[in-house]
Amino acid sequence: MNSKPIILAISLGIILGTAFILSPPFNMQSGTSSQLIINEKPSGGDFQLTSSEGQHRLSDYKGKLVLIYFGYTFCPDICPTDLGNLSMAYQGLTQTEKDNLQILFISVDPARDTPARLQKYANYFEANIVGLTGKPGTIAEIAKRYGVIYAKVDTHDNSKNYAVDHSAFTYVVDQKGQLQTQLPHATSPKQLIKTIRHYQSHS
Amino acid sequence: MKKTLTAFSLGLLTSISSFQAMATQADDISVSDPFAREVPPGAPASASFMTLDNMSDQAIKLVQATSEASKIVELHVHTNDNGVMRMRKVEFIEIPANGQTVLNPGGFHIMLINPVTLLKVGQTVSVQLQFEDGSTKQVDMPVKSVKNRMGNMNNGMDHKMKHDMSGHMH
Repeated sequence: MNSKPIILAISLGIILGTAFILSPPFNMQSGTSSQLIINEKPSGGDFQLTSSEGQHRLSDYKGKLVLIYFGYTFCPDICPTDLGNLSMAYQGLTQTEKDNLQILFISVDPARDTPARLQKYANYFEANIVGLTGKPGTIAEIAKRYGVIYAKVDTHDNSKNYAVDHSAFTYVVDQKGQLQTQLPHATSPKQLIKTIRHYQSHS
Repeated sequence: MKKTLTAFSLGLLTSISSFQAMATQADDISVSDPFAREVPPGAPASASFMTLDNMSDQAIKLVQATSEASKIVELHVHTNDNGVMRMRKVEFIEIPANGQTVLNPGGFHIMLINPVTLLKVGQTVSVQLQFEDGSTKQVDMPVKSVKNRMGNMNNGMDHKMKHDMSGHMH
């Protein structure tokens, strides 16, 4: 048996892998790790969740660039920072760019975030954000596919005021529903606009 | 004997007067760019941020904060664990000797839990800082929005504005 094709395949794998690590789509902010981890690259994919207006599937937004953020309304600092930046980015887009974009806010705290509460919170950011929630099991399954980690923090004093640790990435899903990349916490509005334009011009 | 007594009295007086002249930790801390965040509807907590400068040769600990704006005020920190933001309550926030500690989004912050009224842009919030020696400092700060350019962007003009609007420290 000839071992050459195997060696060739391995070499190709190494080259591609290295290229993947070394070449982000464009310059990310330094000091933050934003790239998908190659070994456990999240697969993403379609899902169905509940908004204040009914059921929504990710595939409903096919043809648009979709940005997904996982958070919760009781979030005191992290979510407002990221959604605030998304809001500022949205305000900086042209009407066509806005029309070709959908931002989704998925709750990692379905016990407290009702669809109505979630939507009221999302509307505050004036970026046409759709708030989505669902059964805990459904959200856990989607989170796993997107590589989102979240966990309720136990508090002894006040059980109603618990915090939820969560991944603070913004997930970029292209017009075909494919997960493309993730942006780190506190990505600037300028960088968000750059990302949106990059993926909208490559559709 | 008399001489000794005089010397003793003098020594006592000197020590008392020098003790009185000693600055409290609150006096040694200078606060700049304080602000609190406007609360989105439904959010039960706001956060307050500021820069603390320690002008003394000893580390100073901020041990507590109180505010009329909120029933529960806690000191918190965020840590970024591979993209997972974890928020934890801390017992104190230390400002190093002749150094600076910045309370900013994603890091240290003073949590205003269950604000008495919804915090809105245009309002001023007062937060009382308490240091390890028991001394306190009141900080008046503007409420800012996360979705507003002027309230969030770090450009020179905004910096100047923050200074002008940050109110007075006591």
